[in-house]
Amino acid sequence: MVDQIERELLLPASPEEVWNLVTAPGWLADDVVLELIPGGDAQFVSGEQVKDGWVEEAVAPGTGGGDAGRLAFWWAADGDPATRVELTLEPEGEASTRLRVIEARPLDALDVVGIPLPGSGGASYGPALLAAA
Amino acid sequence: MTIPGVGADAVFGALADPTRRRLLSTIAEHPATATELAGSLPISRQAVVKHLSALSEAGLLERRRAGREVRYRVTPAPLSDAVSWMAQVGAQWDDRLASLAQTLGEPGPREL
Repeated sequence: MVDQIERELLLPASPEEVWNLVTAPGWLADDVVLELIPGGDAQFVSGEQVKDGWVEEAVAPGTGGGDAGRLAFWWAADGDPATRVELTLEPEGEASTRLRVIEARPLDALDVVGIPLPGSGGASYGPALLAAA
Repeated sequence: MTIPGVGADAVFGALADPTRRRLLSTIAEHPATATELAGSLPISRQAVVKHLSALSEAGLLERRRAGREVRYRVTPAPLSDAVSWMAQVGAQWDDRLASLAQTLGEPGPREL
C-alpha cells in the first residue's frame, strides 16, 4: 500500500534561497517553529490548525550534502496519525533549484521501524507514531 | 482516525509487529487463507491465525468464508480513505508550491 504524495517543482532561485523560504514562517504554516537538528522540535500553526512534530533530518544547502539540501520531519494534527514529510533541494543549472516534496502516511512509513528515535531512549518510529496518534 | 469504530491505537498496535506488516502486504497483493500464508512464512499456521485476528480486530482485514477455509483480504475502507487523504493533502502541497513559485518567479506588484 502506497499512501504517498509526491510533487516536484523547478524554481528560479538557489537552494539556499529556497531553503530559507521553505523553513521560514509562512510556507509550511503561518507560524513555524523548526529546530533544524535531528530530533528537534517542530510546531506548525495556521489559524485554528496546530500540528506538532519533530525533525528527523535537516541538512541545509552548503553544509553537509554539498549544494543540495534535505529536510525530513514528522507532523500530526491533534488526534490524527503522524505523517512524514521530506523536502529535497537539488541545484539545477546556474541559478535554479529542483524542489521535491514527499508526504507519506504511517502505514507505509512504518516500514522504517528500527531506526532509533532521538531523545526517546532508543524507541523506534513505530512507538513514536503510537505516541503521536 | 479514519476506520469507523476502530482507534488509531488498535491500527498502530496491529502494525507494530513486523510479521503482521509482512502478512498485510502479502494479503494486499493477493487475498489468502491462513494455510496459504503459513506455507509462505517460517511460522506455524496457528501463529498466522493469531496475527490475522489482530489485523482483523484493527479493521485492516476482512474475512470471507471460502469453502472450509476463511480467506482474508485487505479492508477496502482504508483505501478509499487513502484516496481522500491524497486529494486533500495533495491540494495543500499544490497550494504551497504555487505560492513558492509566485514568490520566486514572478515580479512583485508593479507601481503604475
